[in-house]
Amino acid sequence: MVRMAQKGDLTSFEELVARHRDKIYARAYSMMRHEEEALDLSQDAWVKGWQRLGQFQGDSSFITWMTRIVINLCLDQLRKQKRQRAESIEAMEEDGGVERQMPADNPNPTAGLERVELRERIDRALAQLSHEHRTVLVLHEFEELEYKEIAARMKCSIGTVMSRLFYARRRMASLLAGLRREG
Amino acid sequence: MKHELELKVQAWLDGELPDHEARRMGEWIARDSEAAALAAELGCVRQAMFGQEAAGTVGESREFYWSKIQGQIQREAGVRRTEGRPWAARWRKYMAPLAGVAALACVLVMAVMRSESPTFDEISSTGEGMEAVTFHDQSAQMTVVWLQDNSPVAAIQPAQKNIRFEDEPGTVIDLQ
Repeated sequence: MVRMAQKGDLTSFEELVARHRDKIYARAYSMMRHEEEALDLSQDAWVKGWQRLGQFQGDSSFITWMTRIVINLCLDQLRKQKRQRAESIEAMEEDGGVERQMPADNPNPTAGLERVELRERIDRALAQLSHEHRTVLVLHEFEELEYKEIAARMKCSIGTVMSRLFYARRRMASLLAGLRREG
Repeated sequence: MKHELELKVQAWLDGELPDHEARRMGEWIARDSEAAALAAELGCVRQAMFGQEAAGTVGESREFYWSKIQGQIQREAGVRRTEGRPWAARWRKYMAPLAGVAALACVLVMAVMRSESPTFDEISSTGEGMEAVTFHDQSAQMTVVWLQDNSPVAAIQPAQKNIRFEDEPGTVIDLQ
């Protein structure tokens, strides 16, 4: 089907969109936490995918290739938003905020949770992270990228990636522990 | 614990350290309770998140979702086709206004010529053995045709002259 689409068959491409649209949308939503934005970006990703279909060599799966496209679009969008936003609160989080001084006392904040419940709590906790922390977590834990790959995509140093990932994880631990206490 | 060490604990957890450094770090974490607690916390978050990405579902129907993608593909394909033909853009930018000015100039010139053209036209044509001269007087709405037979036979006989008034229907006068 990908081969057919590469030859210009729009019907085959439509079928690919129908098969994988949920996955692409889910990744956009993980990064943006905004349904409308995620929807628009996922559709933009498919348009870009069609335009660049000739460059797809089959080194990775088609869905992996498409996921990278939507991630890049989300990162561009987040950069635009960052420029338009006052970053005072996030700057504090960048330095670690409360988690910087917090001792590691949440050895297993998710113990005893059912899978569905765990997913919901992770989703709620992710929503409370800054864009930078969430993005680095999504790229590392969901997209399974290495530090240097994340640094290249986020256009920052490996040290920044390590630092963001560290604080993001500690914040997640704190949020999940808090959610468990609330639950 | 220093922040650099915290980051090294994390890098060890993520398998980002070279083998020899990872070995040393593993030994140190096993001995240091604080490092071990940190590694356990980071590891739990990592493990908890594995495969737990929220399953997103597009709320729109397949057709509606696709229609926006298709529309954008077709729009951008159209833009690219135009971009691929720079002459088309130049034509639109420069030649279209020029063509408009030229057309306007033509209309003006024709109007001026029409107003200044003589009301008397003369057309002359010569055939083998016959010469025809046509006069047209627009103001008088009159056409006069002069025919002269130049054939050798005619040279022996006196020349014939035919004059016709054609613009007034039914008024044809032959003068011989």
